[in-house]
Amino acid sequence: MKGLFWAFLLAAGLTLVVGNPAQAQERSATRQGFELAPNSGKKILVFRPSISVGAQSTGGLFEPNGDWTDKARTNLQAALEKAQASLGNAVIAAPEAYGDDAQTLQEHLQLFAAVSDAVIKYQFFVGNRLPTKKRDNKHAVFDWSLGKGVADLPGAKDADYGLFLFTRDAYGSTGRKVLQVLAAFGPGLAVKSGQHEGYAGLVDLRTGDLLWLNADAAMGGDVRDAEGSEKRIHQLLEDFPGSTPPKAQPQGPAQAKP
Amino acid sequence: MTRHRTLRRMLAFAAIAALPLPANAHKLAEKGTPVTIADSTLSVTPTRDWNRLSGRIGAHAERWTLDGEQLNDVTFYAGVAPGEPLLRERSKKKDPLPKFRQDMLLAEVPELLERTYRTGRDARDFQLSGAAPGKFLGRDGVTFAYQVTDSEGLIRKGEARAAAVNGKLYLVTFDAPRLHYFDQVVDDARALMGSATL
Repeated sequence: MKGLFWAFLLAAGLTLVVGNPAQAQERSATRQGFELAPNSGKKILVFRPSISVGAQSTGGLFEPNGDWTDKARTNLQAALEKAQASLGNAVIAAPEAYGDDAQTLQEHLQLFAAVSDAVIKYQFFVGNRLPTKKRDNKHAVFDWSLGKGVADLPGAKDADYGLFLFTRDAYGSTGRKVLQVLAAFGPGLAVKSGQHEGYAGLVDLRTGDLLWLNADAAMGGDVRDAEGSEKRIHQLLEDFPGSTPPKAQPQGPAQAKP
Repeated sequence: MTRHRTLRRMLAFAAIAALPLPANAHKLAEKGTPVTIADSTLSVTPTRDWNRLSGRIGAHAERWTLDGEQLNDVTFYAGVAPGEPLLRERSKKKDPLPKFRQDMLLAEVPELLERTYRTGRDARDFQLSGAAPGKFLGRDGVTFAYQVTDSEGLIRKGEARAAAVNGKLYLVTFDAPRLHYFDQVVDDARALMGSATL
């Protein structure tokens, strides 16, 4: 009985300790010196977002779902077109890419996701920053890049900046949800059911430098329906440089900024 | 008396639980200062500052990076004994990793890495793009290049050097996205690999 008491106390303590870094997480950053005024005359090229939706197995693995992904693609595209009017500057839709161009664009979207992932892990989580970047962080330098290859992407020559969007949603399977409940009542450890990553980034189409990033591994809005998709796009483009977003959108707890 | 002791223990535990995590668990590897890898006899002297990531991905493995392992990843496997895998196994039963063998030829090391990436890192594809005899740690070894498509579908380029010394495998790999990041860091990574000694 005494052992059980200590086990529960330990589990509670671990939950406290494990919970700490999340409190120190940031969500967005802008490159030092970058400013974009509304109606600046600059053109923003919007690339087709990278979207994947699936289920999270009991073991936590991502299992893609084509039907959900198709629905999300339609919903998010419609929500994005609606939101573009409030971005504050001229917006151009990237031309449809084919063949090698399509592959290069896809690879850049994957690189954008990898860069965003690194920023979340090693810059936005303040307690996990890399020692070589300490000086940069001290002076609020946000220096990440996709490389000059972005200049050759379809449509890049006709615009100044490129907007990259990436979302990946894994909805917890029934087995995962059961495990979440059992873990909470059993050892008291936190098992996450579902994962909802969303990254939006503005990139300089001459240099590849990331000028603004809004990235979170815990986004709100169910992308499988129209309303949820609007909420997601609103959250992704929140604080977009030079934008004038409508203020009336309802915000759930997942949107709370640190 | 017992109640007081329990209370004291609870207060002590609460105090420990409330302590913040260490500000930074990753270590700095400073330019020009020799560093011992994964508590082994392998050491390197970096020609620029690097970050040594905390957390062991294998019993003898250590990971270095500049911007995060997603963007540039040098991994040392320092003294893998026969019968051991390169990385820690997620499940010995479900996803067993290939093991280094005593009788393994150096020419088989690229395949050991390929199978490790496919099972242990969920790589979607792995293409060996060149392997040749080459000096490593002052011994006859093997040098090879590869291209791997990672679990997220991102194509990464890689280079590796390996040698067997006293029956143990010493291997160092560098990989990074082939877009922008590989070319940006490959010279520094080669210098780091070339500085390795026992």
